Amino acid sequence: MTRVLVPVAILERGAVSSGLASLLSTTDVTVLGYHVLPEQTPPDQARAQYEERAVSALEDIVEEFAAAGGDAEFRLVFTHDREKTIDRVADETGSTAYVITGTTGDVDRLLVPLAGDVAVDRILGFVTELVGDREIDVTLLLAVDDEAADEGRALLENAAERLTERGIGTATTLSSDRPFDALADALPSHDAVVVGEAAPSLTSLLLGDVEERVADATVGPVLVVRAVDSPSPSR
Amino acid sequence: MTEPSGTNIEGEAPRTEPVVETDEATVTDGAELERTIGLSGGLAIGIGTMIGAGIFVFPGLAAGRAGLAAAGSFAIGAVVALLVALPASELATAMPKSGGGYYFISRGIGALAGTVVGLSLWFGLVFATAFYLVGFGYYAVDALAELGIAVGGDLVIPLALLFGAGFTVLNVTGTENAAKLQNGIVALLLSILLVFLGFGILDAVGIVGEPSPPERFFPPAVVDASYIPVLTTAALVFTSYLGFAQVATVAGEMKRPGRNLPLAMVGSVLVVGVLYVATIFVATSAFGSARLAELGETAMVEVGRHFLGSAGAFVIILGGLLATMSSANASILSTSRAIYAVSKDALIPGRASRVNLKYGTPHVALGLAGGPILVLTATGRVELLAEIASFLHLVMYGLLCVALIVLRRDEPEWYDPSFRTPGYPTVPVLGAVTSFGLIAFMQPASQVLGVVIMIAAAGWYFYYARDVTLKGAL
Repeated sequence: MTRVLVPVAILERGAVSSGLASLLSTTDVTVLGYHVLPEQTPPDQARAQYEERAVSALEDIVEEFAAAGGDAEFRLVFTHDREKTIDRVADETGSTAYVITGTTGDVDRLLVPLAGDVAVDRILGFVTELVGDREIDVTLLLAVDDEAADEGRALLENAAERLTERGIGTATTLSSDRPFDALADALPSHDAVVVGEAAPSLTSLLLGDVEERVADATVGPVLVVRAVDSPSPSR
Repeated sequence: MTEPSGTNIEGEAPRTEPVVETDEATVTDGAELERTIGLSGGLAIGIGTMIGAGIFVFPGLAAGRAGLAAAGSFAIGAVVALLVALPASELATAMPKSGGGYYFISRGIGALAGTVVGLSLWFGLVFATAFYLVGFGYYAVDALAELGIAVGGDLVIPLALLFGAGFTVLNVTGTENAAKLQNGIVALLLSILLVFLGFGILDAVGIVGEPSPPERFFPPAVVDASYIPVLTTAALVFTSYLGFAQVATVAGEMKRPGRNLPLAMVGSVLVVGVLYVATIFVATSAFGSARLAELGETAMVEVGRHFLGSAGAFVIILGGLLATMSSANASILSTSRAIYAVSKDALIPGRASRVNLKYGTPHVALGLAGGPILVLTATGRVELLAEIASFLHLVMYGLLCVALIVLRRDEPEWYDPSFRTPGYPTVPVLGAVTSFGLIAFMQPASQVLGVVIMIAAAGWYFYYARDVTLKGAL
């Protein structure tokens, strides 16, 4: 079964919204409670003091997932480096995706931006598993230059067909705006976003990872489907 | 495996539990501790701690004592450091835990030796940091002078105190991760030094600049008792090599400890050793040792000016400020880990390892580092501070070699280092002998104060924690 990693800043009132817990009820969940320490503090020293509080908070979150009908376990990590910890635990648990938690009520509409350089197959496979036989509609979004519009339309239709075959209500949007603007326009009418982890690029170096920028632009959760082979910049 | 046992006078027992060490994390029963420091981070801690003293503070002082042979004194220091770095690497890969030398000795030899070393390491780091801060003060005054603000030497100590207090406060309240900054500073320092050495070596062999009169390898006044000043100078400048074992204080946070710890420790000793010897050689050939000695703590600034004019002086001042700051900051971080390690083992009150709720920093341990540092900085006694720091570290280095021999003679089941010291038993035996031997060449005042601190530490053990047993307990 597909596993999703849910990193939570456990001692900073990190919480999981009820909408996210029910969205993830079709997948296995590992809640990663992490606490980032300044470099002056050895992780062991912080653990001695915080472990009990953190574990009790994590147990509460796991219970919320159970109440929503899902299956969750938790890991607790004290770290100096959040990205490294998320990468490592995602690898160790074999998670297909990780979540940037946001707040949402029940999720009815998922926004799934596609791009040429991320694995469309992997994203669609994940969306299919995630939605299952629930009444959740999906909007596939693709932003391309006008010259590449035909190619883009073909990609979108092909992808939409695959989801429709599985009984998922699917809409498509082809935009000629810049990808990020197109995404920002579509965000308000959706409850959560599924994006593919993009390969590191000059833009991501200058402006931050796409997934982080998406998360900044929305209050809802962002599910990031991990790239399999391409190394992420934090590794 | 033996468990640590016994309690201290307040009834606190050592806190230990079974853990699984992987390359990327330490896994305990309920939590994981991420390993986040890579090889470059380890090298930056080692080199960043060491480079401030050896190149930017000592050249003038060392030249005054040993003349051109000062380079030899630095070479002796490098050999001693290397003889200790190899056994320390083996112990660190067998026990990749925070606390470094203290941890190895308490587990290899026992709680008494452990307490003496643990408290001596704390004070040793405090003395070293005070020394770096005074060095910083000299450079700060020079920097002001270069900017046309002549303030005179009276401001050295106040400026050192100001920055010492600043560092302590920043470490308690600052939650920004400065590790990347530290790596960048070390890279910048290394490039400054390589350019400087490039010019210096060309000058020394007479390709550029004016020919300088050849100098006798030993200063005329001491040529009869030739080797003594070289050795006493080696004892003084050994403070320049106090950084490599600090890498072991963060052993619990190193990624791939089996590979990275030995590379970082041995690598940083080799890098700074070569740089020191080359720098001293260049500095003494540029000016001659007598002139260098007159220039004192910031002699390198004049050497920089000699090669590259005021730009050279400016670059060396910048380097000196950065290097002494990075040494001081890295040492404050090591101190708080050293204090945590002894407090975890119930050798000092557990309160010392409290973490501040607001900032998540170990404010008690940082205070226990910063307070004494300021008191010692106020004395302004560069040579005494440096020697006592070396004394306390050398005791730890010697005992660390002894601990390796003890562990190797009767290897406990858990003892499984991934790096084994080449040349065993010769290397650790020589490491112990040379470490203790170097102490014999220090000023009597340093020796007396060092011994007093050790006796006080032993006294503390018998008063506070005599029932605590740590030997053989991982």
